[in-house]
Amino acid sequence: MLLIQQIINGVMLGSVYVTMAVAFTLTIGVLNFLNFTIPTLFMLAGMGAWALTAKGVPIIGAPLIPVVIAPIIAIVTTIAASLIVERFTFRYLKMKYGDSTEHAIPLVSSLGFLLIIENLVRIAYGTDPQRFTALEADFTFDIAGLMIRVPQLASLMISIGIVFAVNRALNHSRIGRGLRAVAENPDAANLLGVEANKLVPVIFMLTGLLCGLAGILFAMNYGEVSPQMGEDIGSKAIAGMVIGGLGSIWGAVIGGLIIGVAEMLTIHLFGADTVQVVVWGLLLVMLFFRPQGLLGHNSIGKGKL
Amino acid sequence: MTTAAPLLSLQNVSKRFGGLSVITDVSFEVAKGARMALIGPNGAGKTTIFNLISGFYRPDEGQIVLDGVPIQQLPSRKRVGLGLSRSFQNIRLMPHLSVIENIMLAQQPHAGGLLDMVKPIALPGFRRWQREAEELLDAMGIDTYAGDVVATLPYGVRKKIEVVRALAAKPKLLLLDEPAAGLNAAETEGLTDFLKRIALTGVTLLVVEHDMGLVRKLCDDAVVLNFGAKIYDGPTATVQDNPLVLEAYLGPRHSKTASGASDQKGAHHVA
Amino acid sequence: MSGYMTGILTVLSINIIMAYAIFLPAAAGQLNLGGAGFQALGAYATAFLSAKYGTPSWATIPAAMLVGGLVGGVLAFPLLRTKGVYLVLATFALAEVIAGAILNTTALGGAMGLSVPDYVGANVPMIAAACVTLFVFYLMATRFGLVMRAAHDDDVVTDLLGANVRAIRVVAFALGGALAGLSGALYALAFSFVDISTFNATISIYVLLYVLLGGTQTAFGPILGATFFTLLPEVLRSVLPQVKAFLAGIFGQTGAIAPPDESWRFIILGLLTVLMMIFRPEGLVTRTFIERLKGALRGQGARRKGAVA
Repeated sequence: MLLIQQIINGVMLGSVYVTMAVAFTLTIGVLNFLNFTIPTLFMLAGMGAWALTAKGVPIIGAPLIPVVIAPIIAIVTTIAASLIVERFTFRYLKMKYGDSTEHAIPLVSSLGFLLIIENLVRIAYGTDPQRFTALEADFTFDIAGLMIRVPQLASLMISIGIVFAVNRALNHSRIGRGLRAVAENPDAANLLGVEANKLVPVIFMLTGLLCGLAGILFAMNYGEVSPQMGEDIGSKAIAGMVIGGLGSIWGAVIGGLIIGVAEMLTIHLFGADTVQVVVWGLLLVMLFFRPQGLLGHNSIGKGKL
Repeated sequence: MTTAAPLLSLQNVSKRFGGLSVITDVSFEVAKGARMALIGPNGAGKTTIFNLISGFYRPDEGQIVLDGVPIQQLPSRKRVGLGLSRSFQNIRLMPHLSVIENIMLAQQPHAGGLLDMVKPIALPGFRRWQREAEELLDAMGIDTYAGDVVATLPYGVRKKIEVVRALAAKPKLLLLDEPAAGLNAAETEGLTDFLKRIALTGVTLLVVEHDMGLVRKLCDDAVVLNFGAKIYDGPTATVQDNPLVLEAYLGPRHSKTASGASDQKGAHHVA
Repeated sequence: MSGYMTGILTVLSINIIMAYAIFLPAAAGQLNLGGAGFQALGAYATAFLSAKYGTPSWATIPAAMLVGGLVGGVLAFPLLRTKGVYLVLATFALAEVIAGAILNTTALGGAMGLSVPDYVGANVPMIAAACVTLFVFYLMATRFGLVMRAAHDDDVVTDLLGANVRAIRVVAFALGGALAGLSGALYALAFSFVDISTFNATISIYVLLYVLLGGTQTAFGPILGATFFTLLPEVLRSVLPQVKAFLAGIFGQTGAIAPPDESWRFIILGLLTVLMMIFRPEGLVTRTFIERLKGALRGQGARRKGAVA
């Protein structure tokens, strides 16, 4: 029974990874770009929501923003930040030779942004974890002795709903079809009149939205935010994405859930210190023996870097 | 027409990508010392043939024999050692290496031993390979400063350097993929003389080229491909008389009206 | 020499060696985002041998290099089968696995860390850094270095020209592992204590960033990058409070002003990274830059033998 409870907890935790893993997989699938700002965007949303409710609007200070509105402002801020990142990683990217380190330029820029955003938040609010007490009451109900927390269940639903919406948008909207065309073959898409330059910001807006939501849901569920909160969660989302397969949205969903469950079971069976070895070991084994992941295509991410 | 064993022979070579057959049962031979052209309309499979010979792809069927050695299963880097060297349609020099370093890189089959790998290449007392590369550049009339980084050089010069790089491996057979692409008339003229000089040193040439002027001046023999199959194998001089070739280039309607049109203008139209 | 100066020189030496450890695979076109893992291997090898068996430093340092080199060499085979994004992820994952394994090994002190009874002064890291620098400069001047640089530009053609790109990359990766091991060993011996949380993903990121910002085309890049980013915080430490005081003065603030946050230096590193990628993505020191410099020293007139065709 305890084991089943841990699996349920794992799925709940996994839903946070899922949302971010989808963000990772979108940028890799369409742009062949491993965006390292995703964990910081996640953190920005969580810390932002906390700061708005506890400290008020940055620089101006007062007034404190009510808990109902703060998350929305935080998500909008995250999307804006993501667009700034787009402007300075992709907009100015010029490939002259196509050699192996040149392809890493956006990745390196995103590492730069990771440092900038995370440390700005540190300077503003310190490095200590903060309690985020948006949900005072803890609704839980149990079915046959299994405890299910309502907020967690809600965030699982929201995560899955978002993934469905994104997937549907990719398959059925004009922009979505354009994006998929770019992912398949950027040159051909260009010839067919798909304006890649106009579609790229869409990916970054989606990234901001997904990370923002994940950050808010995580902060509400686990009641704690810190400038470091993205590092651990973000790297596990990367692991989930790889296991599911780069560029595959449903792969990211499955991978994120696998990581969540694997993490909870590992903690339960071997203790918290071994989580790192299990999660990353799983990823490494996957990369060595089935680099395309569970559902991924063989071609994505093979480009030079 | 050849008495000695051919330098290169393709025997019933086929290649498929997925379900698509790109090369179907192609056989031809290149005699030692020959200057042969490989021509055909766009998408006929010329570059694929080059990629099969140089080892980018493995043929699904058939044999490729270089100087008596079947090479179709050898990794590409081992084929260089057997005397096979090539240039590329789009220049593929190393942009961050200097001219001389690009040339020295191609000496690899002769200087790739463990000891050679760890010896300095540009220090006093160790300049043997550098001198050799410089001599080759001089002999080929490349008068650009050899220390210049390739990325900074104009297109025409890079195009020539790529041919010289292919020569630095001291090949018996040199594959040239559209050496004149992107060059103006004067540059093409210069290149033709340049390639003739190379052939005079005993190197066998197999050239993919669209410029029929260059092909006729440089090559004695030609193989024509269309839709991955060989449709002509013979002297360059009579290639325009072949109805199959005309049909391939101009479509079935022209094959009757234009047959026998072997004059210069028709030839340029083919190009 | 003051204690402050020796401290900085020790850190600088360790960082330079670490920069070359990441530079070697990068020069051959392979990004290693797991540098801290290899550094941890070296540090813990030294710490363990020293604490458990009292092995002297002249033996623990080579042992650390051997461990780093062997792990790098053996893992290079599966690692380098992965390309592009996958290689970045795989090296990143490898470092996490190494850190996790050390964290869970009681013989290595787990989360408590390990005290190192042995100690070396600043001269050892400095001499080691000088030797490593010379070694890498030498390596880049050999045919091995030439093939490495060629593989960075175009691995397919390099292979076609007759060079065994795979072998070259495995060797470069293993040498990088050995150098990272060396820097870890020197860290353990200079600070007499190792703690796995020191060798975290952030370190891997910093090292990769300053190597790429320095430039991977020549051996000048890493030493410049490492020096710049080691000395930057020290410079900022003295300059930033003055800037802040000056700004505060403009806004009419007086009295005691708290020194600025440590985090500013990371923001500056981040900003520089973003700006560099926009304006000079090949790094500060490029091949062309060196050639121009040589040309300038030689005099423009002598640069070309004749007109460009």
